[in-house]
Amino acid sequence: MRGRWAASLRGSAYLLSALPSAVLVLPLSGLASWHRRRAGRLLGVPAPAVRQGEGSWWRRLKTDPATRREALWPLVHLAIALPVGLLTLVCLGNIPVALTLMTLWWAIPGHTPPNLLGDIPVDGWDVALTVAPAQVLGLTAFALWFVPPMARAHARACLAMLSPTSAERLAERVEVLTRTREEAVGAHGAELRRIERDLHDGVQARLVAVTMRLGLARESLADGPDGAAELVGEAHDGVEEAMAELRGVIRTIYPPILADRGLSGAMSALAARSAVPVDLRVGDLGPLPAAVETVAYFVVTEALTNTAKHGRATRAEVCLDRSGDQLNVEIRDDGIGGADEQRGTGIAGLRRRVLALDGTVQLTSPVGGPTTIRVELPCRS
Amino acid sequence: MQVVIAEDNVLLAGGLELLLTAKGFQICAVTGDAPGLLAAIDEHRPDVTIVDVRLPPTFRDEGIRAALEARRRHDGLPVLVLSQYVEREYAGELLSDGRGGIGYLLKDRIGRVGEFVNAVRRVAAGGTAMDPEVIAQLLVRRVDDPISTLTPREHQVLALMAEGHDNTAIGERLAITHNAVHKHIGNIFAKLDLSPDDRGHRRVLAVLTYLNRNQSQ
Repeated sequence: MRGRWAASLRGSAYLLSALPSAVLVLPLSGLASWHRRRAGRLLGVPAPAVRQGEGSWWRRLKTDPATRREALWPLVHLAIALPVGLLTLVCLGNIPVALTLMTLWWAIPGHTPPNLLGDIPVDGWDVALTVAPAQVLGLTAFALWFVPPMARAHARACLAMLSPTSAERLAERVEVLTRTREEAVGAHGAELRRIERDLHDGVQARLVAVTMRLGLARESLADGPDGAAELVGEAHDGVEEAMAELRGVIRTIYPPILADRGLSGAMSALAARSAVPVDLRVGDLGPLPAAVETVAYFVVTEALTNTAKHGRATRAEVCLDRSGDQLNVEIRDDGIGGADEQRGTGIAGLRRRVLALDGTVQLTSPVGGPTTIRVELPCRS
Repeated sequence: MQVVIAEDNVLLAGGLELLLTAKGFQICAVTGDAPGLLAAIDEHRPDVTIVDVRLPPTFRDEGIRAALEARRRHDGLPVLVLSQYVEREYAGELLSDGRGGIGYLLKDRIGRVGEFVNAVRRVAAGGTAMDPEVIAQLLVRRVDDPISTLTPREHQVLALMAEGHDNTAIGERLAITHNAVHKHIGNIFAKLDLSPDDRGHRRVLAVLTYLNRNQSQ
């Protein structure tokens, strides 16, 4: 019964506050989102997120069905909220009237007797003690049993009209996917160009230099071994440098430890190598797509590098776990915070890699610390 | 000195065989996978075994597993593990039994023939040969780490010692006297709170164990 009283109270408040806005019909987006919010609150569902289209309101009115529905909503709202709001007002307003007349009908000044709801004059105790209590009971029952469903019906109508339709939601999803796919293709291309450049400028150039020295050495062998020894030595050094560089490039393409030991093995190797001591917590990850493993690996590498370089941290914590089709990666440190995505390229690059897999990145780094990076990667394998 | 080689890449296996034969080693067997390696060790009881980390069928860390298995079966059999890349994680696993006769080097180092042959002999004699890159990974300086109290020179000496070099070799590489090396090592051991009694291979193992434990906290 207490719940019913509360529901009645909430429903009444909802409908009564709907009344003025039904009269003041203004096709404002702010009004629409106010309606969405309170309807969601009454029904106990999250208010639907609505994407604000681009361009002026008039332009959107022509192209965007959601804006058209928002524009139409005040009329619908007027048609529903005006009758039910007035009904609620009449009902709630007449309860105190009936209560008052029940006992104090004789004290009301004037030549004609005061009226109850329905223009029933209270001119004697017989009416005061029969019709008035009946009205109090009837109106209270109405408030308890009819106001909440009316409020809910209005809220449902509101959400039905002001939420994106499933087709619109789908269209939005397609738009997001198209964008991230384009970014993924772009990131892939950029990555290939980077690898090509690294190999071309580094390893290949070194090997050319080595070949030149060996060629010279070969020529000078005919004259005597002295000059050749130095050239061969230099060539040897050059090949070693090329090998070291090649190893570095391979590490940036697909870290060998990831291939050998999978993500959790690679994580303990990373944690062990980190300059800041790391508490590592890895849950049961199951089989993961290689692309997801690689991105997760680079996320942790980048985060730990930043922590060691800028964070002045004494400890870091790395947590990986999987919930259904999602891999969660979180890196926290106890450093000084203030990481700025605009300044460094590291976090921006990290975000690009994660977005390419349709994942999300959250960075919180208030000045004074601590810094937390949370990455969620979808991993339907 | 008898050697068994496990290397699936024919080019590299051939090169190693050529190089070691030229330096007076006797190659008993060259195998391309882990079961073949274990069989060859059972058959030949070599003085030292050289193993590639990546072997068929999955080309992951079969070589490391095979090396550990061989050392379990044959009580600390000397094994030199070669790889295209090094991870301190693997070094930690190879060192985890706390025994000598273990090496872990980048394949790049084979080109320095003299040093490589020295490393093979050192491992065969129960010593260690750790790649400078592994040691660099082990020596990452941390905020609250006694290693950060070492002087640059002591740091160099510690790195060379951890790679498996003896005092003479350390002195030659850094162009300092035997006495100076001795003094640095004394300081290092005091700073890291290690027992100064350990000598030779035992000393290197003590240092490696220290670095390994220190890092995995």
